[in-house]
Amino acid sequence: MKKLLQSLFILVFFAVNAMAQDRTITGTVTSADDKLPIPGVSVKIQGAAGGTSTDSNGKFSIKVSSSAKALEFSSIGFAAQTRPIGSSNVINVVLTTDSKALGEVVVTALGVNKATKTLGYSQSTLKSAEVNASAPASLFGGLQGKVAGVNISNTSGAPGGSTKVILRGYSSITGSNQPLYVVDGVPLDNSTAGSDNNYDFGNNANDIDPNNIESISILKGSAATALYGSRGSNGVLIVTTKKGAAGKLKVDLSTATTITNVASVYKLQDQFGQGWDGTYIPSENGNWGPKYDGQLRSWGAIVDNSQLLKPYSFIKNNVRDALTTGIELNNNIALSGGNENSTAYFSYGNIYSNGYLPSDNDSYKRNNFTLKGATKYGKFSADASLNYVGKTTKFINQGGANSGIGSSFYEDILQIPGDIPIKDLQDYKNKFFNVDNYFTPYAENPYYSIYENGSRYKSDRIYGNINLNYKATDWLSFQFQQGADIDNAISKIWHNKNAPSPGSYNAGGNIEGSSRAADAGDVIDGSVKTFEYDSKLNALFNKELNSHFDLDGLVGVNYNDRGSRVLTTGIEDLAIPGFYQINNSANKPTSTSAESHRRLFGAYASATLGYNKYLYLTVTGRNDWSSTLPQDNNNYFYPASSLAFIASQAIDFSKTPISFLKIRASYGETGSDTDPYRVFNSATRTSVPLGFGTLTFPIFGVPGYSISNQLNSNNFKPERVKEVELGAEIRFLQDRIGIDATYYNKLRKDQIIPLPIDPATGYSSYIVNFGSVRNKGIELAVNIKPIKTTDIDWNLNYTFTKENSKVTELPAGLDKVVLNSAYDAQFVARVGQPLGIIEAPTRTYSPSGQVIVDANGYPVYSSENVSFGSTVPDFVMGLANQFRYKDFSLSFTLDWHKGGVFYSGTADLLNFVGADAKTTYNDRRPFIVPNSVQKLANGTYVENTTPITEANTDDFYYHTSNKADAYANRILDRSFLKLREATLSYNLPKSIVGKIGAQRASVSVFGRNLVTWLAKNNNTIDPEVSNFGNDLGSEFGEFRTAPPVRFFGASLKVSF
Amino acid sequence: MKNNHIKYKALMFSAIVFLAFGCKKTLDINVSPNNPLIETTTPEVLFPSAVGSTAGRVGGDLTILGGIWAQYYTQANASNQYKTIDSYALTRNDFNGSYNELFSGALADYQLAINLAKAKSDWRYNLMATVMKAYTYQVLVDLYDKVPYTEALKGVENLQPKFDDGYTIYVGLLAEIDAALAKDYSSIALSSDQKKTDFLFGGDMSLWTKFANTLKLKMYLRMVNAKPAEAQAGITKLYTDGANFLTTNAGLAAFDGTPDNSNPFYEYNIRRLNTTTNLRASKTFTSWLTTNNDPRVNYYFGTANPTPMNQGDYTATATQQPTYASATVFAQTAKDPVWFISAAESYLMQAEALERYYGGTGALAMYQNGVRAAFTQVGLATTSVPASYLVYTGTFDQKLEKIIVQKWASFAGSHSLEGFFEQERTGYPKTSAVYSTDASYVAGQWVYSKNGVTSGLFPKRLVFPASSRDRNSNTPAEVPITTKVWWGK
Repeated sequence: MKKLLQSLFILVFFAVNAMAQDRTITGTVTSADDKLPIPGVSVKIQGAAGGTSTDSNGKFSIKVSSSAKALEFSSIGFAAQTRPIGSSNVINVVLTTDSKALGEVVVTALGVNKATKTLGYSQSTLKSAEVNASAPASLFGGLQGKVAGVNISNTSGAPGGSTKVILRGYSSITGSNQPLYVVDGVPLDNSTAGSDNNYDFGNNANDIDPNNIESISILKGSAATALYGSRGSNGVLIVTTKKGAAGKLKVDLSTATTITNVASVYKLQDQFGQGWDGTYIPSENGNWGPKYDGQLRSWGAIVDNSQLLKPYSFIKNNVRDALTTGIELNNNIALSGGNENSTAYFSYGNIYSNGYLPSDNDSYKRNNFTLKGATKYGKFSADASLNYVGKTTKFINQGGANSGIGSSFYEDILQIPGDIPIKDLQDYKNKFFNVDNYFTPYAENPYYSIYENGSRYKSDRIYGNINLNYKATDWLSFQFQQGADIDNAISKIWHNKNAPSPGSYNAGGNIEGSSRAADAGDVIDGSVKTFEYDSKLNALFNKELNSHFDLDGLVGVNYNDRGSRVLTTGIEDLAIPGFYQINNSANKPTSTSAESHRRLFGAYASATLGYNKYLYLTVTGRNDWSSTLPQDNNNYFYPASSLAFIASQAIDFSKTPISFLKIRASYGETGSDTDPYRVFNSATRTSVPLGFGTLTFPIFGVPGYSISNQLNSNNFKPERVKEVELGAEIRFLQDRIGIDATYYNKLRKDQIIPLPIDPATGYSSYIVNFGSVRNKGIELAVNIKPIKTTDIDWNLNYTFTKENSKVTELPAGLDKVVLNSAYDAQFVARVGQPLGIIEAPTRTYSPSGQVIVDANGYPVYSSENVSFGSTVPDFVMGLANQFRYKDFSLSFTLDWHKGGVFYSGTADLLNFVGADAKTTYNDRRPFIVPNSVQKLANGTYVENTTPITEANTDDFYYHTSNKADAYANRILDRSFLKLREATLSYNLPKSIVGKIGAQRASVSVFGRNLVTWLAKNNNTIDPEVSNFGNDLGSEFGEFRTAPPVRFFGASLKVSF
Repeated sequence: MKNNHIKYKALMFSAIVFLAFGCKKTLDINVSPNNPLIETTTPEVLFPSAVGSTAGRVGGDLTILGGIWAQYYTQANASNQYKTIDSYALTRNDFNGSYNELFSGALADYQLAINLAKAKSDWRYNLMATVMKAYTYQVLVDLYDKVPYTEALKGVENLQPKFDDGYTIYVGLLAEIDAALAKDYSSIALSSDQKKTDFLFGGDMSLWTKFANTLKLKMYLRMVNAKPAEAQAGITKLYTDGANFLTTNAGLAAFDGTPDNSNPFYEYNIRRLNTTTNLRASKTFTSWLTTNNDPRVNYYFGTANPTPMNQGDYTATATQQPTYASATVFAQTAKDPVWFISAAESYLMQAEALERYYGGTGALAMYQNGVRAAFTQVGLATTSVPASYLVYTGTFDQKLEKIIVQKWASFAGSHSLEGFFEQERTGYPKTSAVYSTDASYVAGQWVYSKNGVTSGLFPKRLVFPASSRDRNSNTPAEVPITTKVWWGK
């Protein structure tokens, strides 16, 4: 690391000193259509090597010698221009669009720039403006709904929480489905260190400051990612960051202030209030009381001879009013400058985000520093970047409570009857709302867990790279890149100690004689270190062979070394309440440590042969050697090839409305190795799971080691993905209408699965290669430009994705793999079904189709779980609309996911406490399950006459007493339609901008996650949230997690 | 230019050399630094681990199951945790945790400890691990009737072990115990560090001999219905050989009460649940204790006058049963012991054996020892034993009833599962024709759960678990929970 730093400083120093030459020509390149500056226009001196490109304001600055005659300007989608150099030092250029321009260049695998037209596979690229339109804190906020085949969801309603990115659906049953993130050529760690089902400190890709992003290329298919070999099977996101541009010092400022609040909250029944079994019971956490009558009733504990009164009526917006409005600030400054030989770039970004819970115990702070430099000397060129990210995340416990330790905010808030004003409880030390006298012994004051329990995750991360290039000949160059990504984080989680005082209301002094268990409190200190070093050496060639053929490609080697070390120490039961140190307990701290280390070698080559500029054949191959595979079996080859045919260039379509037509086909293979330490069998420190709690060694002063329950194997190979992709791109009417369609068919086989085996074997799982999943899909992107004039621009982008996954094979003797579960509901992979179906008990029926009930009148549940459906949506559609009138522009993005199901632990609790609207069936009067029969001992059926009584209505809705019906109320429709993003921007006129000495300025108001429409049967929670991480297991649903956040904000961007 | 070419060649060459030769060594980093290789384990670390697994499960959730089914306690009406147990509504998805842990946690470790001990002729660990293996296996057989045995615990050699019938397993286990007893396990004492690894007896091999004999006695007694001749032959051989039986409690009694190091029943039911009042006194048990003026009521329920609930009546509302809100909670502490076989159980088993095969000679003394030991076990003086308990007269059946009912009363909390098994074997305590709310209800008789879903039939076993059913094609067809196991009455 020290070396990296050193080189960087040298570079930057060098860059600044290297500015000296003949004369400098500057100017601005604008578009003839909209008069807006065009960034990234290549500016070259005719007949000479080198050149520059325009910055984000369309400005360029180039040094020319006295012999230079003319400058050449070229850019994607515009007709190139050549301008003679006269006496003036300023040349302003207006470029006109050119539908035939095919020179668009994108970043492809291993950071190689290639002309889009030569690609035989689909690739999407998003530019900085699209990523940052609504000033999101992470790079994903601005991507949602914009790219077909890319599913991005915020799994968390908390600031800094995780984002889930899945390309072309899930295919790995028990392995990772996470794409690889590559920043400026170097893999980036995207782990979710320190997080679990209760605490979400975000995934590490969220650390990238989106303000620094120049573009994001999304490689979805195997042919596109084959050069990444065993890390490319889930797609790759290639992030290219901004760099210094030649010219005088340029300063970009952006500042955004955003208000955050809760996007959608539970819709509760509004007819029945506090109580249980149909009776008003003031110590109950349920809504199973009588009907609301508006009468004043006393509630809660009697304290100092007084008791509170409430009208017995439903409080509207009770939950929403209990939450607050948070604020998010996003500020960034970037400085860049240099000459055509050397450039430097510096940026500083600061994010402060406070969520919708009171206090800043749900907040996210991040500081990003970036320093980059580049220089050229003769045939050598070098560049380097260094990024530092410092962040602090505070997160409020979600999911289920850690019983006996402390409670969970979201479980507590759901257990407040609809007639109790939640926001009043905020005064949690008040004599009526404190530990002793909170109104129910079955839950705790939710504000207690906000203010007294908490968590903090602080990380210091450095990542960057050094690039050395040598251009040996005009067709051959060499590149060496060393990258590093090092993260050092500490986490702390704590719960305060509390217990109702003996004799108090919550220690049995209530009408029901129930006591709340004491919270012992705890402290857990964690340290997480991750590292990743990546080296690669490439030889790149690019040669026109003759007038028909050209060839370009590369040969290279790669070495990757990554790993992590986690150490956690905790104690339970605090001695001094409110003091969170691991020595503050009579109990001894318990510690665990885990290291993970893996290495990967790769050697690869790729070549593209072009014929007559309209037919391109690309062949690639990579061989990987992985440390995580059995040693005799650790080396694998991944081939791919693709073909691109630009028909509109080969055939004359000038008599037709077709302005562009390209057909592509590809085949690629990628793979994935596995986690470290799955080859040799080991023992583990003994910790006996008791069901609830454990018995953890050492006990009685004796250490214990137990055979690991996982049987490892030295006989497996990497998972392999084979994918065929076909696509076409067609544009009509001078590119007013464009359609890009892709079909893919991929098979992931030889999946490395810890196969569950009968524990009678001595083990509960066995590492095997088995199982395959086929994903087929269609991705469609339609671009329409209904209006395109100088003043008005209207651009519509529609995307459609339909993905079918099917589990085609599981290990012998195994008809399903359980991916996640809650109570009796299971999320499973089953042969012949999509990857991920939810199964649960349901009703059973007599041969004549009547519901079979037991002696108590409750439906008898099926002994086998039945499918409630797949979590995979039927289709996903996105619509991004951009409308510009002069200097105003308005854009919005809609995202519609149709179909699929999810399990809701929130719904489970709301059904338990009778708050769910579904619990008002038959007005809660006694009823006989319609069309039901009882089975007699002799096997015949008689009509059921046993009613579910009023007092037992609650049992009808809970899974411990009515498994047959409970799950239908908990497994909900996953569909949603969201207004993901809306922005209104205004480019300030030059006259105003000039007064403050700026080149350009714009103001925007925007919103994200503005409106959410949920499916009819889902009154509960946004199906995108989950506390089960950000991979396949999270598709199961959620277990009492935070509802999502809505953002409204305004931003100002100024360039000097 | 030429120079440069040489440089490229050198660079490429070194890259290839690096890959070809450096690779193997550089990639050899796949031995876990977190966990020891299995080859490094010893009986000294495996055996106590396995005992922890047995105690954690038999003394944990199986004590909850056994205690509800043996009607010591019942599900509270203000909570939910154990409704499916109390209504006999268990399916293949329930109690998988115990099946998994007893096999892959306990038995796998016992077996490896045995293999390692045998390899170095360490007959002490061989005996200790063999006896505990047999004890653990017996629990599984008695719960499931059939489990894998001859093909079990073989790892990758047999991923689909067949299920053996209970009797075959019993015979196999008894032979394993006999083989271990036949070795010289007593001439070399355990070292002081090794003694610590024996949580039961601190390395006292004579107590292990007694434990082995008592376990054999227990297994033979289980067979009296199904294999009467074999049971008699086995027991008379024990007596002929002059076997000594346990006179002390065998189990884990030194939990320090801290989190993750407590009585497993307490850890599960009290510390790790948000409701600590799930288990309330069952009228079945309290009615028997109070009718007999049994002072143990204070130990079991923390009060001389417990307010019980009727078994399985958890759906009763506050209006229907106003006293349920204050129903007495089963008393537990974090340091409660887990008994595998108690002294009382040992004496009472001997009483039964003497009744069955020796015309009752010496049975009275054993019976009274057993009753007194049951009181000592809960910290009461033997003088506090009600006089009626010590009366031991009548027919064989009447005496057997006294023996088994006294055993039942001694198991609550520390060893609850055994109360359930013994009723299935002997029919005692008797089952009641009426519910415990009925005026004619006889104190202590078992009642069918108020919310039972099995049409009046008591549960007799667990159904084969999903973790076997879903993974092992040799799992037998499902047998209803109400079908008796092979040795049942």
